[in-house]
Amino acid sequence: MNRKLLVHVAAPIAVGAVVLSGCGGSSSGGSSGGGKKTIALAYQGPLSGDNAQLGINMDNAVKLAVKQANDKGDLPFTLKFVDADDQGTPDGGPPAAQKLIAQSDVLAVVGPAFSGATKASEPLFSQAHLLSVSPSATNPQLTSYGFSTFYRVVPPDDAQGKEAAKYIAKTLNSKKTYSIDDKSEYGVGLSGVLEPALKGLGVSVIHDGIPPTKDYSAEAQKVVGAHVDTVYYSGYFAEFALFTKALKAAGYKGNLMGGDGDKDQQYVVQAGAKNAEGTIFSCPCADATVDPKAADFAQAYKAMFNADPGTYSPEAYDAANSVISILKQVGAGATRQKVADAYKSVDFQGITKEIKFSPNGEVAGTTIFIYQVKNGKIAVLGTTADLVKG
Amino acid sequence: MCFTHSFWQLTISGLSDGMLYALIALGYTLVYGVLQLINFAHSEVFMSGGFGGLFVVQALVGSKTPHGASSVMLVLLGVIVGALVGGSIAFILERVAYRPLRRRNAPKLAFLISAIGASLFLVNIAGKQFGRLAIPMPDLYTNGNVFSVFGADVQTNFVVIAIAAAIMLVFLDRLVAQTRLGQGIRAVAQDADTASLMGVNIDRVISQTFVVGGLLGGAAGFLFGLVFNVQYNMGFTPGIKAFTAAVLGGIGNIRGAVLGGLVLGVVENLGVSCVQSAWRDVIAFGILVLVLLFRPTGILGERLGRSA
Amino acid sequence: MTTEPTPMTGSEQGPSRTNAVMAWSRTRNGRVLGACLFGALVLALMTGPSGSAQHLTAGVRGSWLSTHVIGFLIFGVVLWLLIISGSRLRGRVQPVTEVIAGVRERALVSKPVIYAGYAVALLIAILVPPQLSVFWQQVLVSQIGIFVLLTIGLNVVVGFAGLLDLGYIAFYAIGAYTAAYFTGYPDSKPGHISPLPVHPPFHLNPFLVFPLAVIACIIAGVLLGTPTLRLRGDYLAIVTLGFGEIVRITINNSESVTNGPRGAFGIPHFSAFGYHWTLSLIPYWYLLLTVIVITLILFRQLENSRVGRAWTAIREDEVAAAATGIPTLKYKLMAFAIGASTSGLAGVIFASEIGFVAPDNFILINSLLVLVYVIFGGMGSLPGAVIGASFLIWLPNVLRDHVPPQDRFIYFGALLVVMMIFRPQGVIPSRRRARELGLAEAGVGGADALGGSEPGAA
Repeated sequence: MNRKLLVHVAAPIAVGAVVLSGCGGSSSGGSSGGGKKTIALAYQGPLSGDNAQLGINMDNAVKLAVKQANDKGDLPFTLKFVDADDQGTPDGGPPAAQKLIAQSDVLAVVGPAFSGATKASEPLFSQAHLLSVSPSATNPQLTSYGFSTFYRVVPPDDAQGKEAAKYIAKTLNSKKTYSIDDKSEYGVGLSGVLEPALKGLGVSVIHDGIPPTKDYSAEAQKVVGAHVDTVYYSGYFAEFALFTKALKAAGYKGNLMGGDGDKDQQYVVQAGAKNAEGTIFSCPCADATVDPKAADFAQAYKAMFNADPGTYSPEAYDAANSVISILKQVGAGATRQKVADAYKSVDFQGITKEIKFSPNGEVAGTTIFIYQVKNGKIAVLGTTADLVKG
Repeated sequence: MCFTHSFWQLTISGLSDGMLYALIALGYTLVYGVLQLINFAHSEVFMSGGFGGLFVVQALVGSKTPHGASSVMLVLLGVIVGALVGGSIAFILERVAYRPLRRRNAPKLAFLISAIGASLFLVNIAGKQFGRLAIPMPDLYTNGNVFSVFGADVQTNFVVIAIAAAIMLVFLDRLVAQTRLGQGIRAVAQDADTASLMGVNIDRVISQTFVVGGLLGGAAGFLFGLVFNVQYNMGFTPGIKAFTAAVLGGIGNIRGAVLGGLVLGVVENLGVSCVQSAWRDVIAFGILVLVLLFRPTGILGERLGRSA
Repeated sequence: MTTEPTPMTGSEQGPSRTNAVMAWSRTRNGRVLGACLFGALVLALMTGPSGSAQHLTAGVRGSWLSTHVIGFLIFGVVLWLLIISGSRLRGRVQPVTEVIAGVRERALVSKPVIYAGYAVALLIAILVPPQLSVFWQQVLVSQIGIFVLLTIGLNVVVGFAGLLDLGYIAFYAIGAYTAAYFTGYPDSKPGHISPLPVHPPFHLNPFLVFPLAVIACIIAGVLLGTPTLRLRGDYLAIVTLGFGEIVRITINNSESVTNGPRGAFGIPHFSAFGYHWTLSLIPYWYLLLTVIVITLILFRQLENSRVGRAWTAIREDEVAAAATGIPTLKYKLMAFAIGASTSGLAGVIFASEIGFVAPDNFILINSLLVLVYVIFGGMGSLPGAVIGASFLIWLPNVLRDHVPPQDRFIYFGALLVVMMIFRPQGVIPSRRRARELGLAEAGVGGADALGGSEPGAA
């Protein structure tokens, strides 16, 4: 058949197509109209795949920050927004990172969003001296791998785990807690800090891990049969919602608590307001509806995207704005190296917290807040420092 | 034993899962019987039924939770609409993704790739149309404890699923055993060439088989969505599990699909009370391997023709 | 002799006009129009606006109930007209196309042309990548190169021996984690980072892990295959699917051994004869290219050897093959083991190149995608495997810039269906397959006998 012909002809054609789409990639960027230099702020995170929603929350927030910065009109350059989809997986990380590295006008990246993709991408960012500030990668080990340009504006999970344990032991007065994680990197990391902390405070702990699924009735049975007074779920809101439904249906009457990945208004929607009522959350995030600056953000976000800001949107907004403040400081002659160096000493007041870092890339200030679902809305109760006695 | 503590409770939730698996597994088994094809896209037929039912109940339910007769009507309507949507998608699927391949006597693996392609297409277009968040259905009734069996509480959800599934299974059994269509399905499953020589319209039988499987899968999608919320990718895992159940019971065998579904549901639920829930899928696939080792054609063996 | 049709009144014209329309819709032209319009509607939906959980019908309304759909419908009608008139044109052009086809056939059976073709392909593979942007280099190295190797391996299992394996990615995982294990250190002295929590008895350069990974994969392949290769085609499929998932879940759950969902970080790069590979992509590409070329040469030899012919016999009719004395289980195990080891090699290269592996790299969809690449490219054909994998990985990456990223797989899925409808033999089918399929289309024999699909077969 014409097999050999196809090899002979199709291969060069195919490769030619690859070349044509490949060439010119590194020559994008440069100046736009008006003679002002163009600098790009990039976002890397999941924009497709199962975790797309979380990624889109952050993508939108960065877009908003860029637009507002341009609208203000006091930048010595034009700020452009670029995003790269890594699907939230370690597979997707390197190509997405390379796409951003290849664009010479990208001087900083907000992201990667997920810890797995971060681990796969950071060696490349470090090599390229490209600043990367993650709004959501909370795995505690990320700052110990020696990634020279990696920062994160969220405290690592060990802060949250320890503070949540204190709250459970001393404020909820729990004697026996059921700690469940979703066998994801985030969930295992959080429960791995929570459980030893709880045990250290004298609470007896039962552990289980259940990968994301829909039917939690068997799990609910286990919980009810264990006669615990508190359940803490380390995972994401969609699964927590279904788990809550199953727990209530099985007759569980104790405390129900989740982490920052669970805290999202969608939890209330998907579990049903009746089932969600009273659920508690720990979160290293400040309440975006209380701070007046945050209220402006929420309004602007809604106006631009016709949806409420979601989980991690405020953090991404702060990350973007802190970077923009450094870009302004360095000015139009900025390079990646200059930006990365200048960012070390950033001190920016964001809507979630003061953005300032210790040398290893951890954000200073690890206030953990406690929230509760009241009348169908997630309301802040206070910080653990305020709420935990003794 | 580790599961004796809540044995009956777990068995009940296992039967509930199992009945949903059974309804979906029937779709796989029916299509396999007539075409020897693993209809990978059946999981999306299931998903489409969930969304079809969602539209209907969202349009009809007000702010108060209905009860009594209106609950029953709404559930019935949801099941019917879910089934119809599922059947339609299955019909289109057969026409677009499989019939052209049958015309050219394409190899079986080409069908499989077409099925995978159709599945990817349908999942992602549903995600595009309906967003990627899970969507809860409005409450059609108040879910409470209806009665107790051996100390285990049986809830309204379970009763709804059980009754709906039982009715559909009886309907299917009658269809296959006593109607012309059922005879056609059995004939084509047994020997397609001879059946066509005897005057059976193969194309029509195959199309109708897909539709019947789709009706069941779509209804299952609505019932699933009622309890577990509706989402664009809700079909993937139940699809794999149901296919496993179909093979477990004997692929191509209707009673086998039902048995396989129930066995899988119960074993999964009992099993995770003994070990960490993270091993649930290992238990499910482990049971499959064990059964196939000793009974290579599934618990009840193959052959749609002989089973009915 | 028929009588003149009597002129009909309005009410009589109605039903027979609908009948006429219905009859016409069943003709070829009618069906083609239906297909074109259906395709137009689907395209309109694919390229239209998106909906969301709060606005469930926004996408459909914006795609079909607006001006958006009109352009597509027009395009559909135009396409239909082209197709119907095309069949008339084809008849007129036929003598010319036949002559061209004849010349092609004769030219391409000649060995010098074939070898020249391979040489050109190899030259392109060596010279072009350094000219590409870093993004495409990364895609070549971490996606295309790796998956081409995986596809070639699965091609042996599915294409040569006809065994439907849906859990192929498990061997890739075994190879990667073997690399993670043996590149650790027996002790925890400073500077000695072990990617896994468990320490190996000795530290190895990733190159030296290759034979160990191959051995581990052969053992795994034989362990999986011995009880299951007796099973019929579709049963084998679900069992291998289950095996793939069992491996991934076990890795994810065994935190003390594998670090669970966090994965293994810090796997070193290759080094040989004083040369160290780094994050730099082109040296990794040449390494991959070398492995791929060697594998291709080896498998080509295998295909034309006694083993290859035994595989073909088993694939086409296992019962007959066994009757002629071929030890079918042994050959099937061999195919499984060879496929598994290729996958393991790919795993070692990937682990070393990225430096990080996690259970998320080994999800079920990846097994399915490798199968898709094998069949799309042309089952049983080595050039097909290379082209299939390359094209189907290139496509979503290039689509990233032209369609919203979350919609990419809509196009991908549609392409698969369309490809199977119009060219089920794949892009470059093996010559033997092409003949089988041609005969099957003409009605002679089945297009394949994967595991004995006729009812009544044992």
